[in-house]
Amino acid sequence: MNSYEEFSKKDKPTDYFIKLSEELSKLNEELNAFNVISESSKINKFPISVKDNLCIKDMETTASSKILKSYIPPFDATVVSKIRGKNNFSFLGKTNMDEFGFGSFGVNSEKCPKNPFNTSYVSGGSSSGSAIATSILKYHISIAESTGGSISTPSAFCGVVGFTPTYGSVSRYGLIDYSNSLDKIGIMARNSNDIRFMYDIIKGKDSYDTTCVDVKCNNENNKTIILIDELIKGINPEIEKSFLELVDNFSKMGYKIKHKSLPFIEKAIASYYIIAMAEASTNLAKYTGFKYGFKNENISEKYNEFFTTSRSNFGKEAKRRLVLGTFVRSASVKDMYYSKALKTRTLLINELSKVLNEGFILSPVMPIKTPKFDEINKFSPLEVYKTDILTIPPNLCGFPHIAFPYKYLNGMPLGAQLITKHWNDYAIIDIVFEWENNFKYNFKYNLGSL
Amino acid sequence: MDNAEFDRLLKICRIHLDKSEYQSIKKDVDEILEYFKILDEVDTSKVVEAFHPIKIPEKTSDDTIQEFNNTEGILKNSKTYRFYVVGPDL
Amino acid sequence: MKIGLEVHVGLPTKTKLFCRCKAYATEPNTAICPICTGLPGAKPMLNKKALELSVDISNALNCTIEKETSFVRKVYFYPDLPKSFQITQKDMPVGHSGTLKINNKVIGIRRIQLEEDPAKILREDNYTLIDYNRSGQPLVEIVTEPDITSEDELRVFMNELKSILYYLGVDVDQDIKADLNISLSDSRVEIKNVTGLKNLIDAAKYEIQRQEKLIKEKQKISQETRSYSEAKLSTISSREKESDEEYGFIFEPDLTTYSLQSIKPKEPVYVSEIAKEYSKKYHVNESQLLEIISFDKTSLKIIQSFAGKYEMKSILNAILSFKRYGKSELKEKFIEKAIKLIEKGSYLDGEVISALEKGKEININNNVVNTDEIDSEIRSIINKNKQLLEDYKTNKKAMNSVIGMVLKKFKTNPRIISERLEYILSNEFKV
Repeated sequence: MNSYEEFSKKDKPTDYFIKLSEELSKLNEELNAFNVISESSKINKFPISVKDNLCIKDMETTASSKILKSYIPPFDATVVSKIRGKNNFSFLGKTNMDEFGFGSFGVNSEKCPKNPFNTSYVSGGSSSGSAIATSILKYHISIAESTGGSISTPSAFCGVVGFTPTYGSVSRYGLIDYSNSLDKIGIMARNSNDIRFMYDIIKGKDSYDTTCVDVKCNNENNKTIILIDELIKGINPEIEKSFLELVDNFSKMGYKIKHKSLPFIEKAIASYYIIAMAEASTNLAKYTGFKYGFKNENISEKYNEFFTTSRSNFGKEAKRRLVLGTFVRSASVKDMYYSKALKTRTLLINELSKVLNEGFILSPVMPIKTPKFDEINKFSPLEVYKTDILTIPPNLCGFPHIAFPYKYLNGMPLGAQLITKHWNDYAIIDIVFEWENNFKYNFKYNLGSL
Repeated sequence: MDNAEFDRLLKICRIHLDKSEYQSIKKDVDEILEYFKILDEVDTSKVVEAFHPIKIPEKTSDDTIQEFNNTEGILKNSKTYRFYVVGPDL
Repeated sequence: MKIGLEVHVGLPTKTKLFCRCKAYATEPNTAICPICTGLPGAKPMLNKKALELSVDISNALNCTIEKETSFVRKVYFYPDLPKSFQITQKDMPVGHSGTLKINNKVIGIRRIQLEEDPAKILREDNYTLIDYNRSGQPLVEIVTEPDITSEDELRVFMNELKSILYYLGVDVDQDIKADLNISLSDSRVEIKNVTGLKNLIDAAKYEIQRQEKLIKEKQKISQETRSYSEAKLSTISSREKESDEEYGFIFEPDLTTYSLQSIKPKEPVYVSEIAKEYSKKYHVNESQLLEIISFDKTSLKIIQSFAGKYEMKSILNAILSFKRYGKSELKEKFIEKAIKLIEKGSYLDGEVISALEKGKEININNNVVNTDEIDSEIRSIINKNKQLLEDYKTNKKAMNSVIGMVLKKFKTNPRIISERLEYILSNEFKV
């Protein structure tokens, strides 16, 4: 049973939604999960939250960027209208994130989101708020988005299930672009049933997004788990130990375990960041301080200076990616970087498709334990990028993947990730369902319990 | 990357950095570009570019008008003068 | 001298190139949506009709049309460009390596690409006003090789191109825009954004003069971008444009590649070839014929369907008479009646045309006149009274007596005589 059905069957006290709203607002002051919480009068059905890079008509949408402050979209993203069309849901609000999705830990947001299990730990990013909201609300589904791991990572750190579908299966219309050939809208929930339930609502056909492909998803399971040596070798020993216990469990569940070496997979990080930054640097060009969002009042300034002044409102990571992205697509070096990265992606898709035809790739989500805020400061940007090694390959190649909690270590959840071939989305949701038969997810908060 | 090249990039993307940001971002950029050289080893001579992770079939619209019903909602986000959007000087 | 052109042609689609807003609207910011205003989250969707028209044009200009085409983002900052990048084409344009024949010469067509127009921008005292109605209008850019070597060739090329476009259903009389590249020496000077054919030729003329003067004075011509000022009748140095290095083209990842082979192009019409063929075959004036058919589908159709059946001279005479006096559009059945009248020796004046248009029967007998006889009578009267010509210069009524004299001899409509008189006075006596 999905939690929507469970929620519908239960009697709710008359002030249920008011109380929920109050409790959430209060806890949000501590955790910064939401950028906007809807007025309580508008919440009267099953609560859905939406990452703040998805447009909801008439609700401030900023992708956690100062440069989009006070932007009010005049239209709904396609996923939002699909959910609205069901008439069974309320939009609880917009969830916090790394600015424009630029980050792995959630720290590139002005109001830093915090891990609900322990607030001195990061929540993971970039869909930080969606993961936190799902982790603290008893009845909840969040619409998140992943470019390079932005669903898996926060899901793992906050102990929820996070599903990233095949690239193109959910319309991106109304999604504020980070990297158009990588961005995928996905779902976070407290169990696999809710993921499947919401996926059926938001996926499929849209005449507004060229890259949205209406393909029927499969559910092929050959009961084989593949471990890629290069993905396992660099991980934290404590994580490795726990992860091998998980592998044992899958073995007991009847899965064949295969090991494979794929040295080429290490090229994924560079390929990913080059493509992502090149596309991002074109997507961020439109923010110039007069059309929407932040307004530069000095309208009599010459346009070049006016734009440059306005664009100082980007955060530091955004600026870094703008410079790098602009460089890698410059005509004189484009073949070395941008084109090379796209060709490397072709090779990776081919190599990984071969492996995925043999079975599901299983790995931890992050090679490190959930970091504390003071640990993050010691990482250089490149070191941060490299921690994405486990989430980048499926994201770069558009393979569906799902992160799920598999252990609690010193009170913090650990997450693993299953990857499958294009359009075999239901298979990994079902494997997590299978996993849930033997494992009970824990949450620190259960706001709105009935 | 020398400072002149870095300055040129900043100008192209209309970004100004203050002193401390300039130094740290410049250092990061150099380090990251050095790392990107890992792709030099990849033989891509016979490979085509993957502009998308999957094949995207053709989809087009058919030249029939569908008016957007909330043009006021668009204009409300800008400063306007007699229905024109006010922009910076040329 | 080398002249190359980048001609921008607005396509006659109902909707814009990447959204379904009306392509053409007058009240500012009424035909806009999240896509053409570049709102965060909006995505483009290609208008199939625009793609088809660009294939028609590429085919008509003998371009190579590859299997597929795709789009790129061209990034630059200007207040009229909502996304700060233009969706255009680069490595996979709709057409490339084409030709257009003018006179006895071939002008190379380098590439033909489909792209979106930026918004309209009005410059005020110290700010700008932007109207996004134009943003996203479909444009085809036709880039020629620098094969044009004179003003005259430029004019002929543009007329030929416009006529080809007209016959493809792309009527671009007023809003044809072009960038001109002119080099008389090693330096290439680009003149950006000239609107209309007259301005284009004027701009070329003034720029050629300017460069000739510099060469004569042994001064260096700098490689630069200039703009044409209609008011000053000269070209002025303008802001440097970005280069490809800065544009940083990338594949437009919100779109895909589009098949061109499945599009069947419309058959092009080359009026100059038709004019040449018919003038030889039917012994009529080539340039007169070309002028009639360059921008007139109906006339061409009528000429083609009556050629061989009637005298070409009569066909052209009938068409010209209708164009002169007719109040409605040309109709084949009226033209045919008119041709028959002409071939029986009738003279077509305003009254006859109007009667034909109303479907009235014309009594041919009353109307049969041999204008040649009238003409020679007029000539002989004037030649006998040369003073009449002097008088006519100061008093237009001086010739009324001639009409009276001719009328006595030929009992016919005085207006016919008056018209012939006027024609002879201006064409033969040059008064």
